[in-house]
Amino acid sequence: MMAECTINDNIDESDSDYSDEDFETYYHPMEYGDSEENHNPVDAEDPELFPVECLTMEQVEMFLNEAVNSVCHILNINMSLAKLFLLFNNWDVEKIISGYKLDITSFLISSRVLPTLQSQQQSANIDDNDCQCEQQQPGSGNIINDNVFICPVCTCSSLKSLGLCLECQHTFCTECWTTYVEVKISEGQSTEITCMAQNCNLLLQEVIALKLPISSYLKLQYQHFAFHNYVISHPLLRFCVGPNCNVIFKAKQSLAKRIVCPQCKSVFCFKCGDSYHAPTDCATIKNWLTKCADDSETANYFSAHTKDCPNCNICIEKNGGCNHMQCYKCRHDFCWMCLGDWKGHGSEYYECSRYKENSETANESAKARAALRKYLHYYERWQNHAKSLKLEEKTLEKIKDRINQKVMNGSGTWIDWQYLLDAAALLAKCRYTLQYTYPYAYYMNNESKNLFEYQQAQLEAEIENLSWKVERAETTDRGDLENQMYIAEKRRKTLLKDFFQT
Amino acid sequence: MAALPRRIIKETQRLMAEPVPGISAVPDESNARYFHVIVTGPEDSPFEGGLFKLELFLPEDYPMSAPKVRFITKIYHPNIDKLGRICLDILKDKWSPALQIRTVLLSIQALLSAPNPDDPLANDVAELWKINEIEAIRNAKEWTRKYAMDN
Repeated sequence: MMAECTINDNIDESDSDYSDEDFETYYHPMEYGDSEENHNPVDAEDPELFPVECLTMEQVEMFLNEAVNSVCHILNINMSLAKLFLLFNNWDVEKIISGYKLDITSFLISSRVLPTLQSQQQSANIDDNDCQCEQQQPGSGNIINDNVFICPVCTCSSLKSLGLCLECQHTFCTECWTTYVEVKISEGQSTEITCMAQNCNLLLQEVIALKLPISSYLKLQYQHFAFHNYVISHPLLRFCVGPNCNVIFKAKQSLAKRIVCPQCKSVFCFKCGDSYHAPTDCATIKNWLTKCADDSETANYFSAHTKDCPNCNICIEKNGGCNHMQCYKCRHDFCWMCLGDWKGHGSEYYECSRYKENSETANESAKARAALRKYLHYYERWQNHAKSLKLEEKTLEKIKDRINQKVMNGSGTWIDWQYLLDAAALLAKCRYTLQYTYPYAYYMNNESKNLFEYQQAQLEAEIENLSWKVERAETTDRGDLENQMYIAEKRRKTLLKDFFQT
Repeated sequence: MAALPRRIIKETQRLMAEPVPGISAVPDESNARYFHVIVTGPEDSPFEGGLFKLELFLPEDYPMSAPKVRFITKIYHPNIDKLGRICLDILKDKWSPALQIRTVLLSIQALLSAPNPDDPLANDVAELWKINEIEAIRNAKEWTRKYAMDN
């Protein structure tokens, strides 16, 4: 890695040194770069290969309806119920059918269509008791006579025929249901709307919700939100993460592979929707990012400025020059250099050889330190590559400017210089993967770690070579640069092939 | 403003006719949706002997949305912050239109008897409540005496 000032210096120099002869050596209209993938689209060995379809909303609806119809058909139930089953079972048709056939009642209870047996008994008791009673039973309509009941929400009496209840028998008047559903939709809810009674979690099915006299605008909203829930719950579908991008991706398997949106160019992981993270898996990268968000600042500071007291393990910040420390908490005297007891420290404590001797007494703190050191080792590299990626974006801008200048000055055509852009793109891709190898290594704990670290080191070395050459692109031979691109990409693929399990 | 829904009228009437023990809720003279509430500190709690003023407002879409409730009297409680806002599930996502002003106020009174420092709103209070409950309770009593017993 080189400092930014040298980048500038070199590019400026090379620019003034530039001559037509150099140009000749660049002028070989051969194809390379990202074309490798384009030319061999059937490279089944490519660990990142992941065919997806981009669907429109209509196509997704058709795709979802196939599943809905098959469930309807096989179980002989209505569409609304089938959708609810699918939503709660990750659209796994087989699982639904076997679950339903095994035990309909418990399947309906777990799908929140039937109340739990406990609450069934409770409402049965209420039905027995409340025939003529005046006391208001929360959640259960008060029955005045066979035809009229009092809605517990608006406290108005209305005809029983105008009441509406789910399987839980919590009856409310249609007017209250309507207002309730309208409020819920305007809060962004749809398939998750439940019964109005307290602690009743039965779901209001789509068919019932949409039969209520709610405005057509809110009906559309409902369908919109429900569609969103269906897509999100489907393991083979994913919305593009790009802002205001309407593309929906459909894959054959739910894998942690790279998606590049053809419309908004967003890059993300299909499985978790976060930034693409090969070779690390979704759960690990999530742990890592949480850890970094929690720990990085504090950990950095601790590491730079503090040590733990060897006696009581409290974290100590050194605020003076003297290495004879006394712990603020336990009053233990120790040496800042070797963490050994200060007793026995003569005037020559700079030669502290007591570190090993004392490693047992400071065992706990040593462990904590070691854990922190390990984390920081990986974190610094992770951060460093993230920064390099940012800096190399600037390099790319400079390359673009320079290409424009060249073309304006008549040194070659725009097309002649495209390989530089390919090189910069490839560099970014490789460095990105390299960045994400560090969380992987941090959590790695098996015998293949040596191999992984070897490959990681190889990749890193080639990437730095490539970065060096890209920054000095105008003095580097084009063939040389392209060779370096090939090597770096090969290393990246090899590492992914061996370690990127999805 | 639209006419007051029957539900609110009924609830108000019942609150006046059969008040909940330890709780008084009186609608404002100029706004029937705004209630002046006084909750007495429950027995055997650090708030015993205190009279806590609250305000309760029924929003336009009540009972589809929860009432808005806030402590006016300062109170030392892990689930109530310094602005008097209350962390209580039934006032948020667990609201059900079948709940009433009466049930909400009863829940708030119960919250005073059983603080829940694991779901805090006032972090410093909750922290102390977990680390040193005795001191926290002492603070709560102190605040009760200072702010809730004036009148």
